Amino acid sequence: MRKAIFVSGKRKYLFCGAQEGMKLLFAVIERVKEEGHPYEIVVIDDIQESLQLSDFLKKQKMGTYLYVALSHTELKRVEKTAEEAGLTEEETQFIGYGEELKRIFCCRCHGINEAKNFEEEILCNQCGLELSVSDHYSVYHNAVLGYVAKL
Amino acid sequence: MKWTDNLENFPYPFKGSTYRYSNNSVPMKKPFCIEVTPDYLEEMKLKRDLLTHHPERCYQSLPHTLTGQWEIVELVMDHLAEQYPNQFSLEKKGRQWRFHNKILEEKHDFTFGDETTLPDEPLAFISKHVQEDLIFMMQRDGDLFLDAGQLCFPANWSLAFNLGMKFKSIHHPIPGFKEEGLDDRILQFLMRLEAGNPWERKNWSLMAGDRLDTSLETFDQWGKLRKQVTKKNAGELVHIRVEVQKLFRLPRTNGILFTIHTHLLSLEKLASNPEWLKQFYEILSELPPHITDYKGISLYKNEVLEYLCEQLESGKVL
Ligand code: HEM
Ligand SMILES: [Zn+2]
Repeated sequence: MRKAIFVSGKRKYLFCGAQEGMKLLFAVIERVKEEGHPYEIVVIDDIQESLQLSDFLKKQKMGTYLYVALSHTELKRVEKTAEEAGLTEEETQFIGYGEELKRIFCCRCHGINEAKNFEEEILCNQCGLELSVSDHYSVYHNAVLGYVAKL
Repeated sequence: MKWTDNLENFPYPFKGSTYRYSNNSVPMKKPFCIEVTPDYLEEMKLKRDLLTHHPERCYQSLPHTLTGQWEIVELVMDHLAEQYPNQFSLEKKGRQWRFHNKILEEKHDFTFGDETTLPDEPLAFISKHVQEDLIFMMQRDGDLFLDAGQLCFPANWSLAFNLGMKFKSIHHPIPGFKEEGLDDRILQFLMRLEAGNPWERKNWSLMAGDRLDTSLETFDQWGKLRKQVTKKNAGELVHIRVEVQKLFRLPRTNGILFTIHTHLLSLEKLASNPEWLKQFYEILSELPPHITDYKGISLYKNEVLEYLCEQLESGKVL
């Protein structure tokens, strides 16, 4: 899991997330408070709130730095919202937790499988081969490579 | 059939008594991107069979690579005709070209730049005349992308998976590459590669068996042989696999042609050269676990060392 990292020298720090996610931002929030920077905390606990986020983000002034901590499924949507609101990679950190679906490319038949992020071995749903899930990632296939698990 | 090179022609890869990953590229003395060896006919037959029966495993290309593919056709044909005039010839009358492969007794008339005059995509077409695997890397946004390739004899990697991939991501599976900053240094080196100044390097590994087509797609079949290596059979069963890799900048598209010529030699033959035997024994004994693991030698490394040790000792007696 990615960890939130404090980035210094911003005009304002904005923390968004579910209660669960706030725990992952705790250390950074403490640091921001300690150093006396302006900040705001927005707790998003249902979908409705995350939909309203769009307007809220658009109203932010230049120099605002955004942290978002949500479950992987919700995170994807908010990432998109932030991008549409004009926030760039350099102004944001997205921290996901919980279950995530990964795509696994079968080394034998090239079939694409879906697996949960914590699964280390799966059976290819197309050719039945036992695959060991690697971290070798292809942007083109949006998938990681599954290697032969047992000889 | 034995894919075992003669000792004299074998591109023996070692220097010194230890081996580590490094940028071991050197400028080429004879700037040709291909080499024809005595195994030519057998290897062309094998390559063409593989391309016919396993096209998605052996050939991949993205649509924007056609101009670069033609550039590769030209480079490879020029080099074949120049270096082996008795085996190949090339006549150019404007865009009308005639390529003659006298070994395979094939003549091809085509219009340069016009795909409809060739039986295959340009890269696939020319790859059927050379023993090398041919990889086309395109340069953009300060990076190199594997945008097309013909790969029949891979050392356990998948062209289909690697299609479209950036240089550093391609090398992600290699232990220590990123940590030591090697991936970045090699990428910077490649970005500076100039047309007319090709470089080459040798990569080596060991394998149980003598297949040239050790694709990742068939690893579940050929990989099993690793479990059958014994001190007794290692000399015949285990082969050292050396890839001669060449890097050519393509001036028009600014891409890079990466050619891979794979050579196999049984340990038995390697051991028949006393200097090689001694040096290889030292290197393998000292090789750190992260490299033996990545190269897939760990399962039978001890058997190989015992075999080499025995050969060394019997040499002393003689
Ligand atoms: C630009 C063309 C190149 C391509 C397309 C390429 C591709 C590859 C691939 C596909 C692998 C196997 C990775 C895997 O396990 O999935 C590999 C391994 C490797 N590459 Fe490259 N490579 C290129 C250039 C280079 C260069 C210039 C170097 C210079 C040092 C290099 C050094 C290595 C090394 C050390 C390995 C590990 C090999 C082993 O331990 O057997 N590569 N490369
Ligand atoms: Zn499969």
